[in-house]
Amino acid sequence: MATDIASVGAVHGWRKVGRYSLLVFIAVVVLFPIYAVLLQALKSGPDSLDHPRSLLPVDLTFSTIRAAWDQGDLGRLLMNSLFVSLVVTAGVIITSLLAAYAFAFLDFPFKGPIFVFYLATMLVPGEVTVVFNQRTADSLGWINSYQGLIVPSLASTFGVFLVRQVFLQLPRELREAASLDGVGHLRFLWEVAAPLSRPTLGALGLFTFLGTWNAYLWPSQVIRGDRAHETIQIGLDRLKNNDISKLNLVTGGLVVAALPIFVLLVVFQRQLVRGLTAGAVKG
Amino acid sequence: MRASHTRRPLYVLVAVSLVAACSGGGDITDPGDKATTPTSPADSVAPGETTAAATTTTVAPETLPDCPTDALASATGTTEITFWHSMSAALGEEVVKLTDAYNASQDKVKVNLVQGSYEETADNYFLANQGDRPDLVQLPEYQVQAMVDTASTVPVGQCIEASGYDTSAFLPTALNAYATQGVQWSMPFNISNPVLFYNKKVFAAAGLDPEQPPQSLDEMRQFSQQIVDSGAAKYGVALESGFDSGGGWYVEQWFAKAEQFYTDGDNGRTSRATKVLYNNDTGVELLTYLQALLQDGLAVNLGDNSQTGFDNLLKLADAQEPAAMTIATSASLGQVLVVLAGGQFPQLAPEDVGVGPMPGPDGKPGALIGGASLWPVDTGDDVRTAATWDFITYLVAAQQQSQWAAATGYIPVRTDATELEPYKTTLATDPRFSVAVAQLAASPDALTSSGPVVGPLREIRSVLATAVAAILDGADAKATLDAAADQANNLIADYNDRND
Amino acid sequence: MKHGAKRGLKRRLRDAPAALLMLGASLVLLAVWTIYPLVRAIQTGHLSCDQTGRRCTEEGWGQYLDVFQSTQFQNALGVSVKLALMTVPAGLILGIGLAVLADKHLRGIGFFRTVFSSTIATSVAVASLVWFVLLQPEIGVLSDLFSGWIPALKNPGLLRDPGTALPAVALSSIWASLGFTFIVITAGLQSVPKELYESAYVDGAGSFRRFTNVTLPMLSPSILFISVVLTTRALQTYGEVALLTGGGPEPEKSTTTIPYLIYGKNSLISGNIGLKSAAAVLLFLISLVFALVQFRGFEKRVHYGN
Repeated sequence: MATDIASVGAVHGWRKVGRYSLLVFIAVVVLFPIYAVLLQALKSGPDSLDHPRSLLPVDLTFSTIRAAWDQGDLGRLLMNSLFVSLVVTAGVIITSLLAAYAFAFLDFPFKGPIFVFYLATMLVPGEVTVVFNQRTADSLGWINSYQGLIVPSLASTFGVFLVRQVFLQLPRELREAASLDGVGHLRFLWEVAAPLSRPTLGALGLFTFLGTWNAYLWPSQVIRGDRAHETIQIGLDRLKNNDISKLNLVTGGLVVAALPIFVLLVVFQRQLVRGLTAGAVKG
Repeated sequence: MRASHTRRPLYVLVAVSLVAACSGGGDITDPGDKATTPTSPADSVAPGETTAAATTTTVAPETLPDCPTDALASATGTTEITFWHSMSAALGEEVVKLTDAYNASQDKVKVNLVQGSYEETADNYFLANQGDRPDLVQLPEYQVQAMVDTASTVPVGQCIEASGYDTSAFLPTALNAYATQGVQWSMPFNISNPVLFYNKKVFAAAGLDPEQPPQSLDEMRQFSQQIVDSGAAKYGVALESGFDSGGGWYVEQWFAKAEQFYTDGDNGRTSRATKVLYNNDTGVELLTYLQALLQDGLAVNLGDNSQTGFDNLLKLADAQEPAAMTIATSASLGQVLVVLAGGQFPQLAPEDVGVGPMPGPDGKPGALIGGASLWPVDTGDDVRTAATWDFITYLVAAQQQSQWAAATGYIPVRTDATELEPYKTTLATDPRFSVAVAQLAASPDALTSSGPVVGPLREIRSVLATAVAAILDGADAKATLDAAADQANNLIADYNDRND
Repeated sequence: MKHGAKRGLKRRLRDAPAALLMLGASLVLLAVWTIYPLVRAIQTGHLSCDQTGRRCTEEGWGQYLDVFQSTQFQNALGVSVKLALMTVPAGLILGIGLAVLADKHLRGIGFFRTVFSSTIATSVAVASLVWFVLLQPEIGVLSDLFSGWIPALKNPGLLRDPGTALPAVALSSIWASLGFTFIVITAGLQSVPKELYESAYVDGAGSFRRFTNVTLPMLSPSILFISVVLTTRALQTYGEVALLTGGGPEPEKSTTTIPYLIYGKNSLISGNIGLKSAAAVLLFLISLVFALVQFRGFEKRVHYGN
């Protein structure tokens, strides 16, 4: 039977059932580790090393999570992580917008070499920079402080490239018309270019927030023993190292650390994809 | 096209790298091929014999910084000092408690705490400028030589002398651990040592007296044989080769018990250590013994213990294939009892756990201390140095040590603390806690009873642990130990070269 | 010509102040926090310093070669490369497979898409700890369920067996990167113009042929991007090793990657900042080479634009 050209690739009948089963199976496999740990956090007591003998969500208790929350002071750590992640996200969006604008719309001496400079920084691994950055932070007095956590992450080459990509796809006439109207660079950026790139900025923001929330290497170098400024990932590490006999406490901490991000992802997942599509990750 | 411009040089680079990689290949710690004399197998030294070089170097007292302990009396206002400590979790909370009490009890000194792990604290200390260092830092027992070489601290011995502080109640082993070349460098604060944990129920079922743990390695083997033969447990002993336990630190313990030196220079205490001695007959015998236990089915090998850190203790509580004995640090006794009381391991109740001294060669007593000590930093400020000393004396006072030991499971650094509450009650209610205390007190008065002091001690333990792991897997003990000793000597030579 | 060139130069100079202003913040930040430490690391890499990193003697650039050739570095390089071989192809295939699977208009497909992206929310610590808990022989759930098929799960535990430790670490890595790969490929799939599929269909191509002739080529920039990112992650794996195996069962040290060799808890060079810097810089160069090789190697296949 002739199929409608518009439905090329559409799925019907048995193939549909087959596809659903495959989807469910893989979803189960992907989610299983999270589910198992979630279950362990909700079923076993905090003092127990044991794992739940059955995988059924019965006999749930919040005591482990509550114990992890109290012992790890997770409430404050969450606040710290939230604060730092929000500030860094805002900062990265701003610096990326500015730099991307310069590369996309301006022409200036040494534009090429400077671009290569940005490119090079993207490949430098954390292991190389961490030791000397810590000394720099130390000499600035930024150890155990919010500045130390935030400032080094405020520029992101990935962000610059992503936004530049989008800016390059904006029609030239837009910029030319605006400059004929006497619109300056910053105004154009703020009133035209940025709003038009909103999906990509959203994706960048989400990625940056995720990355900052999950960061461990740099925060562990900057925050030394100062519980007031610790982020949630360090707290998690502390929970594991401190009382390894209370491994279930770690599972409680894991749930708390990962939950906000999961919620964020569930809510914004579609925007994330759309934002990346608009920016078109084309190397 | 641009691609071909960069492609060729790129492939050439990759090819060159492959060739470079396949040729040569030394040890990463001996890159310059520094002239290291090939190590001849060290001869076993008779107990008590010294291995010090003919010329021993003692540090001249005039070269050491002063400790003006009376400067605090004349100071006005509150002096603030910083203490970098490495105690985490419950231990850290106890440090906070002690510090808060100290701060509240007087207004001349206020102590600010900064907590990190042992490694972080050490790294941060070494890499910091003198001006950024704290007033007091707590560092583990393997950092003695490294700290001495920074020449950045005020030896506690100077303070003891200046103030006439009475150390007679202190455990000699504890103080000696942190003294070299006649100088008392730092003050012991938290002490532990390895003890034998065993299952009393299994002992009884095997026909052994549950109150008589094995005292020597030979007995440990005999008991294991009896246990395995009777079927009371699958294995006699659970072995592991972590570098801060079975594969490294315990070997130093066994050498001390055998009254053998681990490095030259009298364990680095009368002169700087230049090589390790553990590939001698004592070492080979020891590791061959462990290997034989495994091969004869009397013991089980749990690997490097990197997962939980107490894999061996878990093995005692294993439901299917338990072991009856294992060696672990005395500091874990408290935790073990709490976990067992939780009822999660029904086959092992808290009262079934027995504690005995760590069995050694020929059943000789004694042990090396583990843990950390307090180092006052030479800030150049007399008042702050005096304030730091005041805080130190508080932390090691009998009452505080009693409180500290009762709360943490560490052993008090002084014997009079055992007569004060709350530790007195701890010992009285559960005599198992006193085994570790007695073991330390029984250490013979010899240079071998203080462990090795050498710069890269941690790395040396790591190298040895790899060797022990290989031997436990069946490798030849002599050859493996020789290779490890070579690597260790390279490490020492490199360290001395850079730091002397 | 001259007039145009002059206009160009004038324009460039006129734009310069604005450019300076706009680039300023990120330029300074990157210079201070990325380039400066890299330069310092390169400088320190040919020195031999004491514990404090202050008293240094010149060793020469040969130190870099010595570190590269040392047995420990070569072993760690081998481990890192093996890890990359285990994680990158698997990650790509799974990511593409899942993205294609979920790229249909089925009811509730949004739920599945969210599930498949979910692992991007896990940090290295979270993902590693999740797998750490799962793989413990005595207290993890997996040993109960699967030890019949994989005895090593229970005895001595996947993370303690020298043969299975690295694959276990790889498994944790692949799982953690799944979300990222899925999202990027899904974005790539959605930017494939429908007309291409339709014209392929008209040409008589079946679904498999459509996949190989339309989908894969259009996805190639995304595939290249993911390949480079995953390879770099594999070479720079540290947290997973620290949390799961502590460097791998001794004495084989089967999971000691290059970063773990430098910074791990049983590192032999932790007191030698010269060697640490040299090794870190070498890691950077190796990552660079791998990235470049992939860019050049795939250049012919990657299809840009329309």
